[in-house]
Amino acid sequence: MKVGKVLQEYGVLIAFVVLILINVIFPTGSFFSPENLRNLVAQSAAIGIIAIGMTFVILTGGIDLSVGSLVALCGAVGILTLNKFADSGTPVLICCLACIGVGIAAGFFNGVMIAFGRVAPFVVTLAGLAGFRSLALHLGNGGEIRSQVPQLGVFGFEGIVLPFVKSQAGGPVVLYWGAVTFLVVALIASFILNFTRYGRHAIAVGANEKAAFFSAIGTKWVKVASYTLLGALTGISAFFVTARMNSVGTGSVGSFYELDAIAAVVIGGTSLRGGRGRIWGTVVGVLLLTLISNMMTARGVGTNIQGLVRGVVILVAVLLQRGSKSSD
Amino acid sequence: MQFPAVRALDAVSLTFEPGEVHGLIGENGAGKSTLMRILSGLQKPTSGMILLDGDAVDLSSVRHALDQGIAMIHQELNLVDSLSVAENVFLGREPRKLGILDRKAMLEETERLLASMNSDIAANRPLGDLSLAQKQIVEIAKALSIRASILIMDEPTAVLSDREAEALFALIRRLREQDVTVIYISHRLQEVIDLCDRISILRDGKLIQTLSADRFRGGSVEVIADLASLMVGRPLSDLYPAKTPVPEGPPLFEVEKLTVPGHAQDVSFTLRPGEILGLAGLVGSGRTELAEGIIGTRPATGSVRMANKPLTARSPKGSMRAGIAYVSEDRKSLGLILSLDVVENTTLVNLAHYCRPLLRRAAQRQATEKWQKDLDIRAGDLDAPILYLSGGNQQKVAIAKWLEVRPQVLILDEPTRGVDVGAKREMYQLIHRLAAEGLACVVISSELPEIIGLCHRALVMREGRVMGEVVGDDLSEEALMHLAAGVAAA
Repeated sequence: MKVGKVLQEYGVLIAFVVLILINVIFPTGSFFSPENLRNLVAQSAAIGIIAIGMTFVILTGGIDLSVGSLVALCGAVGILTLNKFADSGTPVLICCLACIGVGIAAGFFNGVMIAFGRVAPFVVTLAGLAGFRSLALHLGNGGEIRSQVPQLGVFGFEGIVLPFVKSQAGGPVVLYWGAVTFLVVALIASFILNFTRYGRHAIAVGANEKAAFFSAIGTKWVKVASYTLLGALTGISAFFVTARMNSVGTGSVGSFYELDAIAAVVIGGTSLRGGRGRIWGTVVGVLLLTLISNMMTARGVGTNIQGLVRGVVILVAVLLQRGSKSSD
Repeated sequence: MQFPAVRALDAVSLTFEPGEVHGLIGENGAGKSTLMRILSGLQKPTSGMILLDGDAVDLSSVRHALDQGIAMIHQELNLVDSLSVAENVFLGREPRKLGILDRKAMLEETERLLASMNSDIAANRPLGDLSLAQKQIVEIAKALSIRASILIMDEPTAVLSDREAEALFALIRRLREQDVTVIYISHRLQEVIDLCDRISILRDGKLIQTLSADRFRGGSVEVIADLASLMVGRPLSDLYPAKTPVPEGPPLFEVEKLTVPGHAQDVSFTLRPGEILGLAGLVGSGRTELAEGIIGTRPATGSVRMANKPLTARSPKGSMRAGIAYVSEDRKSLGLILSLDVVENTTLVNLAHYCRPLLRRAAQRQATEKWQKDLDIRAGDLDAPILYLSGGNQQKVAIAKWLEVRPQVLILDEPTRGVDVGAKREMYQLIHRLAAEGLACVVISSELPEIIGLCHRALVMREGRVMGEVVGDDLSEEALMHLAAGVAAA
């Protein structure tokens, strides 16, 4: 095992550990407080859930630029649905189901256009990027939609009380439902990728679509399934984003989520050409991006320059991957 | 060079003379390709050196090799279809005048080169309009335009018709007169004997012998068998197993008036269990397209019936469910997924069987090991990408992945293309064994001896139509060739 190979295979993990070590050696504030670590996961959850779905789409050789706008659309429909039932005291679950339903419908539409309509994924989802946002703005009259059910906002800050962990003030530390979902989704997705027929077919389609088709794989449905899965996860993510705000800013919510999600997938070692990738890489990729932001903020790096650092991280990650390709 | 699977080349020393056509033969996996990759700068050896005119040379990249005058003509040509012939010849080294492309000089020089090769290809034609044989000539012209003194050709005749191959041989002989060294790799022994001055035999990464080709020239079949046994390392008994009679019974598989627009017209045939049907014809006669029409990867009209039931779902998946399997001639891009490992490739078609509901890798592995034993698949590491297997072994996996779903009809498209003599013989035995077990086989082949030696009967296609059928003892090269070329039987 050459150094280069290790670096390429586990580069993202090594980078993550190195950043943690930097924080150990040169701590700023209370980096290692349980709340901060909890926040790292919680802040990563919204992008993370989407990035996991994006991993499947990219594995099949596709791309989805519409997820950011879809977050806004799902959230808008979710809140409007919840408000409709506001008096009858229905649970916030209604909002969640509406979000997921819209996500599934949009993802399915993208997938069908790409697989059966044979339009390039970039084009279809670029149309979605414009269209879904516009639809959300239309629903919200160009502005914010507020929830009339306070329980939704409360739910955004509920979660599992971590056992044996005490906050600095001595109180309990709550892992929000969004973060819990992120971790659970990651586990299930790993399972799907490695231990189900769909997961292996997705890799086969991404590696060589024609050969997969000749091998009696329903390549079109594999693609539709991938975009639909991403749509559903985008809906879930939208629900948690909405819950934390107890409202949806239809013009801004979810902006650039697609780019952050794609960046996390690529940093995590999934090939943009498809056919090669992993879920854990994406999870670490998302955490890495969040950690970098947090560190920069804690160390007083201006927000204007933070984008540059993220850009460099993405480039380095891709360069590392490419180096390995030519050597095998 | 150490590949994950095996040591591909082991202390090989060879000399090539100026103005020599040097044949390089060996089974798949013998190390020919690795040797050629090293000489053309695609791969670095772990030890050893290369001398050119007595001086050690650095061949660490294709550019370095080209600078030394070593050019390789790959099986897959490195040309751009959308550019003209001249632009292809000068790709990357376009002549310029004041920074502007000098089209005139480019065209003139290309025409001069092509004329010196006795070719009448127009230098300004788009490359996409040319036949594969003509493209190959352009590729050679490209090599000559950089004054290559050593040309490496990897199975150049694999995709050529006999007449095109003859023209290529004439060109190679002319190059020899101009003191160009040609290193010629081929599986076709007769061709190597006729064309080359010396022949080197590689086996298991070692050089076995370098022989003068004179020894074999004008020789009989036994002489070729001698050469073949040197390659394989053991005497080669009869290449084809004895034919067993086809069991009587109703047809299992019926194709009626199948038309694949632009490729095949009104093709009908039937097949009984245990029967081996040959599909002969020249390259481009529509056989592969017909097969693709049958399994549903190409749109087709007409009917396909299995045991009297017409197929409705026309897709590879539907065909698979009906019991029809197709093993493509294009192993590398259609038959296998090269980046996946041996286990995944072997079980890809039958993946549903290993999901209950979660995939069981252990069971997949077990099945793969069973096929490995059954078909004698030589693979060092089942968890390594299948890319590292030799052609013959890849082909066995491409067949195994379909045998996994127990088909009743197996369509094999050029099953021995790019496969060496030893592996060919195994392939023939395998096909016979499968037929004896009741599988109905269709074998598409451009090699007439293969059709004759292997099949119970053969259909001959020309320009998309079935020209005739030759049965049993009537199978002969003459009979098939007459039909394939469209000449009335003498």
